[in-house]
Amino acid sequence: MTDDIITIEIDGRTLQARKGQTVIQVADEAGIHIPRFCYHKKLSVAANCRMCLVEMEKAPKPVAACATPVMAGMKIKTRSEQAREAQKGVMEFLLINHPLDCPICDQGGECELQDLALGYGKDVSRFTEAKRVVFDEDIGPLVSTDMTRCIHCTRCVRFGEEIAGLRELGATGRGENMRIGTYVKKAMASELSGNVIDVCPVGALNNKPYRFSARTWELSQHAVISPHDCVGSNFYLHTLRGKVQRAVPRENEAINETWLADRDRFSCHGIYSEQRIAQPQLKERGKWRKVSWDEAIEVTVERLQSVIASRGSETIGALISPSATLEEHYLFQCLLRGIGSSNIDHRLQQCDFSHDETMPVAPWLGMDLNAVENLQAVLIVGGNPRKDQPLLGHRLRKAALRGAAIMYVNHRAYDLNHLAEQYLAATCDDLVIQLAAIAKALMQKTNRAVPDALQGLLEQVEVDEQQKTIAENLHKADRALVLIGSQASLSPLYSYIVALSHCIASLASVSFGTIHIGANATGACLAGALPHRKVAGTADEQPGLSAHKMLQSARRAYLLFNVEPELEAWDTATAHRAMHEAEAIIAISNFASPTMREYADILLPLASFAETDGTYINAEGRWQSFTAAAKIQDDAQPGWKILRLLADRLNVSDLAFNSAAAISKVLREQCRNVVLNNTVANIKLPQHDFSAHNRRLQRIADIPIYSTDAVVRRSLPLQQTIDGMEADKASIHPQTAAEYKLETSEYVSVTQNGNTIEFSLQLNEAIPEGCIWIGLGVPGTEALGPAFGDIEVSAS
Amino acid sequence: MKRRLISWLKSFFFWELFQGLRVTGRYFFARKFTIRFPEERTPKSPRYRGLHALRRYPNGEERCIACKLCEAVCPALAITIDSEEREDGTRRTTRYDIDLFKCVYCGFCEEACPVDAVVLTRFHDFHFEERGQQVIRKLDLLKLGDRFEEEIATDRQTESKYR
Amino acid sequence: MSELHNYTLNFGPQHPAAHGVLRLILEMEGEVITRADPHIGLLHRGTEKLAESKPYNHSIGYMDRLDYVSMMCNEHAYVLAIEKLLGIDVPIRAQYIRVMFDEITRLLNHLLWLGAHGLDIGAMTMFIYCFREREQLMDVYEAVTGARMHATYYRPGGVYRDLPDQMPQYETTKWKSQQDIDYLNESRKGSVLDFIETFIDDFPNKVDEYETLLTDNRIWKQRTVDIGIVTPQQAMDWGFTGPMLRGSGVEWDLRKKQPYEVYARLDFDIPVGSNGDCYDRYLVRVEEMRQSARIIKQCIQWLKNNSGPVISNDHKVTPPNRETMKNDMEALIHHFKLFSEGYSVPAGEVYAAVEHPKGEFGIYLVSDGANKPYRMKIRAAGFAHLSAINEMVKGHMLADLVAVMGTMDIVFGEIDR
Repeated sequence: MTDDIITIEIDGRTLQARKGQTVIQVADEAGIHIPRFCYHKKLSVAANCRMCLVEMEKAPKPVAACATPVMAGMKIKTRSEQAREAQKGVMEFLLINHPLDCPICDQGGECELQDLALGYGKDVSRFTEAKRVVFDEDIGPLVSTDMTRCIHCTRCVRFGEEIAGLRELGATGRGENMRIGTYVKKAMASELSGNVIDVCPVGALNNKPYRFSARTWELSQHAVISPHDCVGSNFYLHTLRGKVQRAVPRENEAINETWLADRDRFSCHGIYSEQRIAQPQLKERGKWRKVSWDEAIEVTVERLQSVIASRGSETIGALISPSATLEEHYLFQCLLRGIGSSNIDHRLQQCDFSHDETMPVAPWLGMDLNAVENLQAVLIVGGNPRKDQPLLGHRLRKAALRGAAIMYVNHRAYDLNHLAEQYLAATCDDLVIQLAAIAKALMQKTNRAVPDALQGLLEQVEVDEQQKTIAENLHKADRALVLIGSQASLSPLYSYIVALSHCIASLASVSFGTIHIGANATGACLAGALPHRKVAGTADEQPGLSAHKMLQSARRAYLLFNVEPELEAWDTATAHRAMHEAEAIIAISNFASPTMREYADILLPLASFAETDGTYINAEGRWQSFTAAAKIQDDAQPGWKILRLLADRLNVSDLAFNSAAAISKVLREQCRNVVLNNTVANIKLPQHDFSAHNRRLQRIADIPIYSTDAVVRRSLPLQQTIDGMEADKASIHPQTAAEYKLETSEYVSVTQNGNTIEFSLQLNEAIPEGCIWIGLGVPGTEALGPAFGDIEVSAS
Repeated sequence: MKRRLISWLKSFFFWELFQGLRVTGRYFFARKFTIRFPEERTPKSPRYRGLHALRRYPNGEERCIACKLCEAVCPALAITIDSEEREDGTRRTTRYDIDLFKCVYCGFCEEACPVDAVVLTRFHDFHFEERGQQVIRKLDLLKLGDRFEEEIATDRQTESKYR
Repeated sequence: MSELHNYTLNFGPQHPAAHGVLRLILEMEGEVITRADPHIGLLHRGTEKLAESKPYNHSIGYMDRLDYVSMMCNEHAYVLAIEKLLGIDVPIRAQYIRVMFDEITRLLNHLLWLGAHGLDIGAMTMFIYCFREREQLMDVYEAVTGARMHATYYRPGGVYRDLPDQMPQYETTKWKSQQDIDYLNESRKGSVLDFIETFIDDFPNKVDEYETLLTDNRIWKQRTVDIGIVTPQQAMDWGFTGPMLRGSGVEWDLRKKQPYEVYARLDFDIPVGSNGDCYDRYLVRVEEMRQSARIIKQCIQWLKNNSGPVISNDHKVTPPNRETMKNDMEALIHHFKLFSEGYSVPAGEVYAAVEHPKGEFGIYLVSDGANKPYRMKIRAAGFAHLSAINEMVKGHMLADLVAVMGTMDIVFGEIDR
């Protein structure tokens, strides 16, 4: 090890360096700044900008610090006359073709070109000839281009190749004619495309929705946590006079490195949607009336109390978003249990709750996020982290690039950005059978016992080569993970998936992880936003109804906390009906869609994720607290304040907290003995006949990337992306399409549970035969039934 | 001795008083240097820093491109700008307010403006009649610009060699 | 009959002779002052703290508003401090312009002081005469900087722009005959320098007139001679500077003792008093006006014969000129960065002082390497002078307080900052 450490000298300072490091890396570690454009610590070295030229002793010419590996005894001068001259010269060349755009360029003020021109360049130009002009391309709704400003550092090209895994941007031509553009004029389809805004040192690639709206120096920066997925990305919201303008990543090597998913970056544009509730409102004889908070709370309490008095408190159902903060989950469940109802759930998209009793305290990734990139084999069941948790997807891609075997068992094939094996299961039964076969293959290999509950199933299945390969991959890997993806819970046989995945993991002696939809599913479970468990996993003696059950057997009143059950529930049609039939719907929500305005009776405006204090627990079990970034819009209130007030008026004691921090402190205290553990013991499985074969067309579903929650659904830029625009199309395999004579139809009528909706149809070979894919949570699909089940389709 | 005597005599006969009266008396008949404001005005320099205005290009297009340098450089934080992309894709302000109670008339905004949009005119005897009027809005600033354009343009022309 | 006791009198802060917003709590024994307790702070605007939150250049304009009768001298100390930290050179022409304006400012200050002081102790006419001359100098201020008082003209590295070669002229109105207009415009035919020259040539005569009215006037002398005597030792102990110190006979003037800009090249004398009373301080200030006129005259001569840049061409600190900015990428970037972010000043601390009309005006500046000062401290001459008021007026009559305060030449803009 000591052999690897060598000593070099930079600017007269003696520094220790590891062999293989470059000069710029050593200088960065020592805090010596070397100017650079093309070098980026997360990308490969291109050495094409030449800005980092430094003087090296005994070298005839200045050398590029980013491309020069350290050697023992090396002496570098970064600010010597020679280095300065070289840097000045490079700067002059870079500015020759740069347009005089600073005043209208959004990058102005945070522009690396400006900063380095000021710090290292000359102060007047000698260039008087005409500058070149490059025409812009429209590369989608997220990133604006001004390609004349490009200085050809190729960071975006390398980002596309190395990080996003899509060769979307490229350099064509040479010298003065060099252009950066998409090879094919298509929108950047990556879920991480927004990061090119950050890597671009100039204003060539910029944030399109934020375009021209503010200057960096007038923005105030607030650290927040991603409210959309269980990675818990750290980022900053930039606000101008209390209003969110944009989001930029906050570096955290343990979580999101330097990146940020587009969903986190652009969702803030949904906050100020027209559907945002401005003031508390009551529905009186079908008309909405704006009221004061006092009146709204009074009426809410009255309604709840009258339902309790006439029908009993168990007729109240409560649904909370899995992306609500920990504090909100806690107060919400305390409030409900305080008035005698345990009908609380955050798992709207799930329908199989038969293993609830035996499920772990909280879902957990089973390891740290940065351990994922060192895995040798990963089996993902029901999910596509690339779209569901983009930065987890990025870690998986890193693992894949290091040679890991990544295997997916899903209901459809996904467009992946790394090498992987994808196994398709057309039906839910089929998926379980495949898993059982993998388990069986492993069982045969290891001669270990499987839980009794699974033995019967395992005997039924036959193992084929595919499943043997998967078993083999998992078995031979030292570090491997079986991961239940966030889409798996949509399956009606979710308990089987959990049991089998756990069985596979324990047979192969590898890690086992579960991830859920939403930013805070782990937190929701710990806070007790579950019908059968209270805080920190203690059992509720009088368990309530799960989300699916409380929608199926309609309640008299519902308390909705930032959810839209008609979109987010597993069975949207049933949810929609339950909402309509209820006596009282109290919606504490950011937004009210026209549908919600139809069924709701009281609307209480809720502060959005940017406007409230709170805590999220990510998939690693990491508690991350944040404070409000923006001024609350209009008359909204943070969730914990609303819930506290309701609790007070409903005489629920012990909830008189004065801050979100006080709540999380209490929770932390209560959860201090909880160790996250995914072990599933004595799982109870429902009876299911796997031999029956259903020959009818089946609906399969997952939650598309930009349909996960209310804010994302309202973020216009995200909805205009390819992912956003394709979410509301029905996809079908060409073969199946032919079977149903749909090859030529652009639009189809889809009927489920007697409701018919028209969809535009997409032929897609990624969908297994005999299925039609329709996304869950996509506006317009409210009337359709469950996410999985029989469906009819005809050309329209 | 002699000087003391002279001094005593001067003092006795109020010599210094008459000297003083001679000075003041002379000014009784001197030419007046006062003027009758506001009918008459003292001459103003082309550099004068009075009320602000926003200028337009000769084709009627507003000059301001919402670069916000004036807002950034304003020591008194008197300028407030909101900007957005106009339909034609150009960068424009949707709000340009100057709070004249905050303004210190330092002229930095004019120095900062890369397109000569915000200028300080020679107009200095303005007043307000109601609360809130001290904040002049974009449209009023543009109107001021239109009103004084000729003077503004010649003044900038004269000054161009010094800036 | 009961005995008379000390009577406490509240003097100001709205007293016309209190020069702004001074509040004095006077303890009187009959009409004799036994104790004077100044209460300050009514004009506190937090300039020092404010400067910590703004890029360096933003505070130039706030310097004008410290001692608001000697605007450019305040600016001068501030830019000197920044220049010292930055280590940049100021073009020689800019130095002459600065010196000339420092002296014009001294005239402005002393004229206002003389007028107001005269008014305080009963000489009404002085006020009008002094303001007549001030008006001319204000016009110079306006012609060169665009503002009659708050100039914001000095910049680290020089001054904002060169002197214009035209002086604005009176326009014909129906209220004045062409003859009158021509008379008013007589001195405005040439450049600003010509205008100042005409003024300065005539100025000593004006000073003679003032002296005719005041110097030998028996009332004036009765009000000032032997009032508020400060011995040289006391003056030094109390931290007096400027005319307050020189009035007591101490020959101390930063322009001579620590010459800055081009003062070393100029020929002028330092007047000193002998008794340290109000009358001596009056005489010192009047003589200073004559000396300032001498300095201005020399500056005009040099400026007329020499041209050159008026601001450093180091565009890392000073913005490039507008034409280059509009055509040149490098210049535009520098313009943009300078006006949005300002320049960063190397870490360090520095004290720069100028001979301000009121005394030594200094700026103590600490930089941590950022684009705004880490700390700025203003050394205001008037603050030290006012501190000594108790010692100076003890035992004097109430009416003498006005004379003493008048010769202190206090301005609350700088004392309260």
